[in-house]
Amino acid sequence: MTENTLNTRAATPAATNNSHMPVATPNSLPLVETRNLTVGYDHKPLIKDIDIQVEAGQIVTLIGPNGAGKSTILKTIAGHIPLIEGDVLLSGKSITHASPHEMSLELAVMLTERLRTELLTCADIVETGRYPYTGRLGILSVDDRAKVREAMEMVNVWDLRDRDFMQLSDGQRQRIMLARAICQESKTLLLDEPTNYLDIHYQIELLNTLRHLVNTRKVGIIMSLHELPLARKISDWVVCVKGDSIVAQGNTEDIFTSAVINELYGLKPGSFDPVSGNIELEVGPKPPGQ
Amino acid sequence: MQRQDQIDNFGREVHRRRVAIVFAALAALLAFFAILNLCIGSVNVPFADLAAILGGQDASSMNYEIVWNIRLPRLIAAALLGGALALAGFLLQTFFNNPIAGPYILGISSGAKLVVAIMMILVVGGSGVMTSWMLVLSAFVGSMAAMMFVLLVSRRINSMSMLIVAGVMIGYICSAATDFLITFASDANIVNLKNWSLGSFSGISWNDIGLMAVVVLASSACVFLLSKPMGAFQLGEQYARSMGVNIRLFRVALILLSSLLAACVTAFAGPISFVGIAVPHLVKRFLATSAFLGGAIFCLFCDLIARSVFAPTEISISAVTALFGAPVVIAVLLQRQKRRTD
Repeated sequence: MTENTLNTRAATPAATNNSHMPVATPNSLPLVETRNLTVGYDHKPLIKDIDIQVEAGQIVTLIGPNGAGKSTILKTIAGHIPLIEGDVLLSGKSITHASPHEMSLELAVMLTERLRTELLTCADIVETGRYPYTGRLGILSVDDRAKVREAMEMVNVWDLRDRDFMQLSDGQRQRIMLARAICQESKTLLLDEPTNYLDIHYQIELLNTLRHLVNTRKVGIIMSLHELPLARKISDWVVCVKGDSIVAQGNTEDIFTSAVINELYGLKPGSFDPVSGNIELEVGPKPPGQ
Repeated sequence: MQRQDQIDNFGREVHRRRVAIVFAALAALLAFFAILNLCIGSVNVPFADLAAILGGQDASSMNYEIVWNIRLPRLIAAALLGGALALAGFLLQTFFNNPIAGPYILGISSGAKLVVAIMMILVVGGSGVMTSWMLVLSAFVGSMAAMMFVLLVSRRINSMSMLIVAGVMIGYICSAATDFLITFASDANIVNLKNWSLGSFSGISWNDIGLMAVVVLASSACVFLLSKPMGAFQLGEQYARSMGVNIRLFRVALILLSSLLAACVTAFAGPISFVGIAVPHLVKRFLATSAFLGGAIFCLFCDLIARSVFAPTEISISAVTALFGAPVVIAVLLQRQKRRTD
């Protein structure tokens, strides 16, 4: 069942277009484009020569070992940390020239940092997604409320709307934050480890929601993922981050070969099969009779 | 679907009604304490006479004098400055994302106090007169200086408790320097400084009220206009930025407004402790935006106690606000700890 619902790759234009090089039309500026981007903290370059593109209706996933700098790349694209060299273009416009309001219409984010709030209900949190569209005092219109509800229903958290955000489980909070990002209705969703804290049921539900968004609203998604089997299922384009550079990027089936994955994670040949997700331990199974 | 919509609308209706009830209750409390403050004191003014006096009758009586020239300006000052303090505390808590930040505990009030004391000694010593404008201005300079120091510290160490420690330290330094100055300043005019430096609403005239009202009400209006980015900022800086908040501008506005509000309070009433921390937490239980009213009520209540319990001797207002405010802060800390371990 899940195999079927998740296997919608062929239905997306990005996948049929061979994704990275779409037919050039005047309106097909990539939603996100990094040019020769160098990212890092405190002026110290961490990862260089990053060239990533995200098209409308495409899911781009960053994979790589822990601490490889996937978050650093995402934070730089979102403008949370200053870029060091190169440029980030959102719908063709450099983020160094974009106003905060323009940025908010281009990118909606969901971060890994845990949120501490005081006396905010889940509906309050999701409603902040409508910030770019409300007036000076931030009062929501009937239309805004409908969008809030639509987003909350999409991730199945409408029932939680009056609950205190702090009293939810990590997984529930994660879904609230996704609803918040969805109702911001930006062209691109930028998600840092969206499956964190989620059990397998909700991981699959989340990926279904993302695929649904991409198919129906033609948003672009750029995210980082830890779980390789999930990344393989959901992505149209995969970017491998390791050390100080992008070691490989390409269509999902080209990246998920033993050679690339073993190289990326420093695995011994045969210990992990990226297609089946099967793991071989060196120690071998438990001896019988113990 | 239809029914669900009705339920939602009903929820919003309930919310709206709750807001109205809370504001009505706060307004009633404010009026109640205002009347108490007018009636009670070393000379009690009978409630029955109050309406006539406020209506302008009995203009020659002593009670008329007491109500119009002493108690009414003091009452208005306590309400305005109390509101200003609570608002400043609310802004600082938002800015530092720290539940026990406030103008007093971060040393901002004490910084203002020090510069005002220096100016007073210089100007009055040179036999000039301090105008209200000069008071507010020098207090603003002092509060901004202390604020800058706290910001410098907070940039280097990203820890909630260290921020508070740094603030308390700068508060002690400024208070010590002020005490030092006051002890060695002999001028008779400066005797008043002693009272003021402990914090008191006494001796506020109608002249002061004008400037005070302009500064406090104008700043409060600005805070009201900031309520939208402030809501976004509750989710943290990064989310706020991604929603389109101009973070740099917003931060500057928060610093300027909170310093100005704290400076105005210190200029007229000296440093007053705990109102900035305690009131926003007390009132947030109901509504975040009602901090100003809450601060006004809290200060009216505390000032009533300060001047009537040991009348005719007055207690410093900070002693009273600390007595009622500090337990609230402790309760907040305990509650947070409990929530974390849950």
